[in-house]
Amino acid sequence: MFQFDTLSLVFVALIILGAIPNLFYSSGYLPHIERKTHYLLHYFTFIFSMLGVVVSANALVFLFFWEIMSLSSWQLILTEPKDKSTINAARFYFLMTHFGFLFLLLFFLIVTNGDLEISFAQMKTVAAAFTYPTMLFFFLILGFLSKAGAVPVHVWLPYAHPAAPSPVSALMSGVMLKVAIYGMFRFLFDVLYPWPLQWGTFILIIGSVTALTGILYALAERDIKALLANSSIENIGIILIAFGMGMIFDTLGLEILSTFSFIAAIFHVFNHMGFKSLLFMGAGSILHQTHTKDLEKFGGLIKSMPVTAFTFLFAAMSITALPPTNGFLSEWMIFQSILSSSTIANAMTLKLALPFALFALAMTGGLAIATFVKAYGITFLGLHRSTNAKHAKEVNFLMQSGMILMALFVASLMLFAPQYLYFFDALMVSLGKTSVYAQIFPNGSLQMHSLGVNGGVVSPLILFAALVGVTSLLLFAYKAFNVKTRVHRSWACGYKTSAKTQYTATGFSGVMRRFFNWLYKPEEHISKQNLAGHETKFSDASYEVRIKPLFEVFIYDNIKKWVNITSYWVYRLAHFEQTRYPAMIFNLMLFILYSYRIFTHEIDWQSILIEMALMLMSLKILVIGEKK
Amino acid sequence: MILYFVTIILLVLIAPLLLSYIKATKMMLLFKRPISIFQGYRDFSKLMHKETIISEETSAITTYAPFLVLSPLLIVMFFLPPVVHGSYYVSFVDAFTITGLISLSTFFLMLLGLDSASAFGGMGSSREAFISALVEPAMVLTIFSVSLMAGNLGVGQAGVNLAQHFPQEHMASFLFAGISFFILLMAENGRIPVDNPETHLELTMVHEAMILDLTGVYLAIIETASSIKFVIFASLFASLFMPFGLEFTAPIAFLIFIVKLFFIATLVALLEVNTAKLRLFKIPNLLGLAIVFAFLSLITFYVLGA
Repeated sequence: MFQFDTLSLVFVALIILGAIPNLFYSSGYLPHIERKTHYLLHYFTFIFSMLGVVVSANALVFLFFWEIMSLSSWQLILTEPKDKSTINAARFYFLMTHFGFLFLLLFFLIVTNGDLEISFAQMKTVAAAFTYPTMLFFFLILGFLSKAGAVPVHVWLPYAHPAAPSPVSALMSGVMLKVAIYGMFRFLFDVLYPWPLQWGTFILIIGSVTALTGILYALAERDIKALLANSSIENIGIILIAFGMGMIFDTLGLEILSTFSFIAAIFHVFNHMGFKSLLFMGAGSILHQTHTKDLEKFGGLIKSMPVTAFTFLFAAMSITALPPTNGFLSEWMIFQSILSSSTIANAMTLKLALPFALFALAMTGGLAIATFVKAYGITFLGLHRSTNAKHAKEVNFLMQSGMILMALFVASLMLFAPQYLYFFDALMVSLGKTSVYAQIFPNGSLQMHSLGVNGGVVSPLILFAALVGVTSLLLFAYKAFNVKTRVHRSWACGYKTSAKTQYTATGFSGVMRRFFNWLYKPEEHISKQNLAGHETKFSDASYEVRIKPLFEVFIYDNIKKWVNITSYWVYRLAHFEQTRYPAMIFNLMLFILYSYRIFTHEIDWQSILIEMALMLMSLKILVIGEKK
Repeated sequence: MILYFVTIILLVLIAPLLLSYIKATKMMLLFKRPISIFQGYRDFSKLMHKETIISEETSAITTYAPFLVLSPLLIVMFFLPPVVHGSYYVSFVDAFTITGLISLSTFFLMLLGLDSASAFGGMGSSREAFISALVEPAMVLTIFSVSLMAGNLGVGQAGVNLAQHFPQEHMASFLFAGISFFILLMAENGRIPVDNPETHLELTMVHEAMILDLTGVYLAIIETASSIKFVIFASLFASLFMPFGLEFTAPIAFLIFIVKLFFIATLVALLEVNTAKLRLFKIPNLLGLAIVFAFLSLITFYVLGA
């Protein structure tokens, strides 16, 4: 029923490491939650169900805990159901998570031959005998990626994660998404191995598109928690890029490079858990003090909330992959794994296509810097933009200790990267790969080597020591120089600096919004009180811009529209009518039985034709043929 | 080892000279009376003697950010390719680390811009974020292409490899990578098609806008940082794309290297005089060109092997 192999244990460690600082933070946050019992019950159920998912040894237990995880997190979103938007977000989450669950169920029904209690190893023999492995692959990734938030099934994420209370957002973004990644590792390795080349390429493409889409929407966001949720989508994309590279290398027989890429993916899973939890906790503290999620209402918080500000800065540096942080190390590994594609011998098209993934990853990195400079600069620097921000104070001790603990965890990932990588290497060995730890660290744990032919080297600790050393040397020299310092107000062309003359979050991303206009398609609302008919003189003006995600508009809204139209016709045809209603159900059952036959057996065009004719006849006789 | 430290000290010392030289050349070409090429040192010593004025709206970021802007760039100086054959070079750091360190410096510069609560700083940061986001992919692709030709991703090793074995059989892709890198050099250092370092007009400012509120020692630090950044890019260009002259004895090799740096500076000055500054929304076209050249370089390397 349960199993504790290396893969499970690594993810158990991930969940526990994510949960402990969160418990501190959560207990500090608790006095501000009205339905405490409801919250605590679901909070602990949520953590234990995630642990249950990663240690389960058969499909039934897995699906049971998976569903408990989805339901408890759904209830956690509804902890404070005051706004209509929260209820809508929860409903959307409920729908999307069950959309994914459906595909997982289909996957398990097929690979277990109906007996849900067989082990993963037994599933492998069933899956190997199945005629359409790619269909299984698609069921699997639709199930897991709709939870992880990859394009195009990511749309629920920027609504659901911000709507939850902040400790829960931290858990959902930091840990729950990684449980979906666990599912990919578990079932792609244990059940669906070996993979064709196309699967890896598909994951790589999905990853690149997800990374770019996530960061572009994060950049344009002005709700701080939605910004972080969008950035989670980006990081899932980065993990998928590494995962896809691993799959591609594995198929091409480049065993060592494949292991390297998978280790990079796992490393980024841990990193993202650390800094995203920390960022969500920081955002939660700000929300807690200012009672708003709007970036435009913040400003100057570094003076009143120093602990939050510095942990947030550390996490922001890490998520934007600046050296010497751990985020830089994992992103470095992913860059290296794409760069080692130059050793691929006989797949020229693939070799020419991979620089595009490199392009996407690099662009993501650049835009991530812009996003987090905006998030940090507008929130913490400058003057306060609202009275709420003016009266903000540092949060209570428990919440602070949660943030500090998580910051320590992120710092440990930075300082003890070789030790962590040792465990990830052991994990890959347990999944049947060759060990590469000795090749990554050939001369001591100071230098980290890439495994490509023209690969690079990085030495995180030396870099860290050098940065600290040189900066403190410069500071010391400055202090020794004994410079006279005077405080004066900022120069603003002779006017007085005020909160209103600062750059806003909307203004900061304005340049990008204009350049990526084709993607954002912003709705702009400008209104101004003109003075005496002058175009350029006005007493009062307001500018608002709204961006609706492209995928939501194109895919989801259209699906909604067509479902509405179809259900209207079905309703017209059969609603509460004695013969037509059973007839519709009869036809539906026929359809399901026939589809099941087609899925599980070979496609046989003659019988499909016969079945279609049968269905049409029954439809004609039972539904349309009947006259009043 | 001595040669290694001498190179670093020499490069740091001539950093202000190069920027003043560019400015003087431009002035001469515009029939103005040129400034002295030692103007950079004069400005530095003048700023060092001034008091520091800190804006009352700022926070701890302004107190520490100038040092964090300069220190990553100073560290990069230690990782540059050797100037003389046989000199020590750092082999445990690769090109990604260098771009990462440069991004770290830019990150704190952007925060510095937002810290003073003035509209100028925010505007500068926003524009800088936009430009550096677009520079990143071109940079990574160019690094990839150069690492293929040099056979190593480590900058120091790549410089040595290219000097020992000039990739004549890959001349086409080498040239494309060179063009791409030169565009990046102009963009990262805020030279004219991208940013005008000599103006304080809000329509055109990028780099200057972020540092508008700094004076005295802090301004001197930031100015030093920007001149060091130019030296980093120029010497990377000199080592990777003009890899000759390393085999001579130390003083002559130094001299050749400095001549190369001045050649690059002259090139930059000529380009600056002959082009107009691009509108902010036209800059992606220029950087797109760099991306296209980097891709071309990779494709010619893979497909034609040329």
